[in-house]
Amino acid sequence: MTDGDYRHVYIIVEHEEGKILQVSLEMIGEARRMMDDFNKKYSSKEKVVAVLLGYNVKELPNVLIQHGADAVVCADNPELNHLRNTIYTKVIAQIAQDREIASKIELEYAQQFKRPRYMFFGADSIGRHLSATVMAQLESGLASDINKLVVADLQITHQNKTGGKPLTYEKTLEMYRPDFSGFLWTTILCLDNKNPAMQKDYHPQACSIIPGVFEVIHPDSTRQGTIIEYTPKFDEQDLRVKIIDRKIIKSEIDFDSHKAVVSFGRGVKDSPEQNIKLIEELASELDAQIGITLPLSKRPFSVSQTVDSTYLIPDRVIGISGRKVSPKVYMAIGISGAMQHISGMRDSEFIVAINPDENASIRDECDVFVKGRMEDVIPIFIEEIRKQKQVVQA
Amino acid sequence: MDLINIAVIVKLEPDFSEGNVSYNPDGTLNRAETKNILGPHSAIAVNAAFYAKVKHGAKISIATMGPPTAESMLQQAQLMSDADELYLYSDRVFAGADTLATAEVLKSGILKMQEKMDIVFSGHRASDGETGQTGPQTAWKLGMTFLGNVIDYEIDPAKRIVRVKRFVRLQGIYDVVEEMEVPLPVFIAIDPSYKPKFNTVSQRLAYEKYQKEARVRSQNFKQYLKVLNALQIGADPKLIGIAGSPTIVYKVERIPKGKATRQAEVIDGQDKEQIRKVVARIRQSLSTMVIK
Repeated sequence: MTDGDYRHVYIIVEHEEGKILQVSLEMIGEARRMMDDFNKKYSSKEKVVAVLLGYNVKELPNVLIQHGADAVVCADNPELNHLRNTIYTKVIAQIAQDREIASKIELEYAQQFKRPRYMFFGADSIGRHLSATVMAQLESGLASDINKLVVADLQITHQNKTGGKPLTYEKTLEMYRPDFSGFLWTTILCLDNKNPAMQKDYHPQACSIIPGVFEVIHPDSTRQGTIIEYTPKFDEQDLRVKIIDRKIIKSEIDFDSHKAVVSFGRGVKDSPEQNIKLIEELASELDAQIGITLPLSKRPFSVSQTVDSTYLIPDRVIGISGRKVSPKVYMAIGISGAMQHISGMRDSEFIVAINPDENASIRDECDVFVKGRMEDVIPIFIEEIRKQKQVVQA
Repeated sequence: MDLINIAVIVKLEPDFSEGNVSYNPDGTLNRAETKNILGPHSAIAVNAAFYAKVKHGAKISIATMGPPTAESMLQQAQLMSDADELYLYSDRVFAGADTLATAEVLKSGILKMQEKMDIVFSGHRASDGETGQTGPQTAWKLGMTFLGNVIDYEIDPAKRIVRVKRFVRLQGIYDVVEEMEVPLPVFIAIDPSYKPKFNTVSQRLAYEKYQKEARVRSQNFKQYLKVLNALQIGADPKLIGIAGSPTIVYKVERIPKGKATRQAEVIDGQDKEQIRKVVARIRQSLSTMVIK
């Protein structure tokens, strides 16, 4: 294995109804910035390659180029109309190892090309599973739910990877992953085994990327790029997997039609039943939809069946693993402010937090921080809202 | 009609319920103080398998990779599903595995089971690792069709197909419910919203019967349990544990406090006058549309 075997970053693009999903444009934006630095630092010309599978998607490659892609590999075929995991996984793996495609991306690197150096997927319902199966097929490493990427030359000493000796790994992708609590950041590396006793290549270095983290590049219609059409090969038996019906549905919990959202987190724990009742009352006064943080969807409290099935449900989760909202008013009650939650509400216009702990991270993300216990504070709010409503009515 | 064979892969996870979970002062999970249980998503996968037992008399095998203490979790899973076989893959060499190396162990174990599996179930994701990768990677290694986010399924034993409904959340656009028809064998990662329904009288009777049997079986769960090491499941030592893991954890750090994105005005929660002003601002924000 030599460095020249691996080139470029391949990004798996998602789209729906002729529109590219935001997370795909965000990944291309980040890849563009990353590879511009990379090429300067290593005097190379490695490319940002978008991989697009679908049917009747011929309009999309130009959009991807305008947003920063150097090349788009496009497989347009009726069998790719909607995602079927096995078919998509195999086609992506074919594309990733195709030298002819590589020669159209950058001729100079084509002869030695084996696989992409890096690979990005969106960390959503589609990309999460697809990334896992593609990387199982390519037998390489995958980090999930990443929110920061750094390319670095690292000196590594590892019993298995290096046989205990310090070795330099060039152009290594540091993949930063916030853990479930939102307090710890784990950096994951995907490293070749250089230990002579057990040598093995692990490329591409792949990850799934949290939607809403990276910035989209402003589209530039003068940007040039290469569009490479690819004709996929299918295994007959895989085509026996059939999508019979596809229905678009709206969640029963609708945040978009409410101008206010009232959310609560673990802070309700002292008396969950009563506190949730209070929050319900407050939300009703503001005609607000009610949201929760991810830990609450794991039903950590014993509450009445009604409260449990009405509120402690995944459909209400705001944040990375749930919805992204941007109401006029957002009230965060008993929410510490883990990064996972913040990313789902930071675009709200006016944010009020109620929390007894003045050092909670949510303080840096709100406009008004009300210091106090929700049991004491919410009733004051409710009373005050009612008073002010009366004044208007009068 | 042949017997339907079902395997479920489950995971021992920290119990995140209040009173059981313990956090360090810095907000991170205190693993030493937090007890471990059958993960909530794993429990849903076990329920999904039980549905096939009630409906078709399916044979259920439940498997996990974990420490010897994971035994009691398998007992719990048997109580929920009347499982016929329990497998604990336990070996020091499994330690330090990333998802790919974990999937290799589970694949080897499932291939070692007596029957060829028609369906393998996994949970949606673990509540501690939360990668959601191990299920699909195990499916891929088994050469099974992977179906994620499955909210409902029905087996057609005569045609040897399964019909599923999948709930796919397309962030920022809308959700999609997809109906698929897939030849067996399949690997199903069950969605958290899955709920088995037992509609007919005969199903309810079967449900009672198997539940009763499950109570008896789980009291003697060790009779049904096989604890197997790497050699016994025939796992390739190069593909498991640290040796078979492409990824390593390079460092763990506290997420540095980002720059404050907003300058919060801090007010006292007892100060009614201040709260009056906040409420006025809230009402102003909410009324902007009306004024316009």
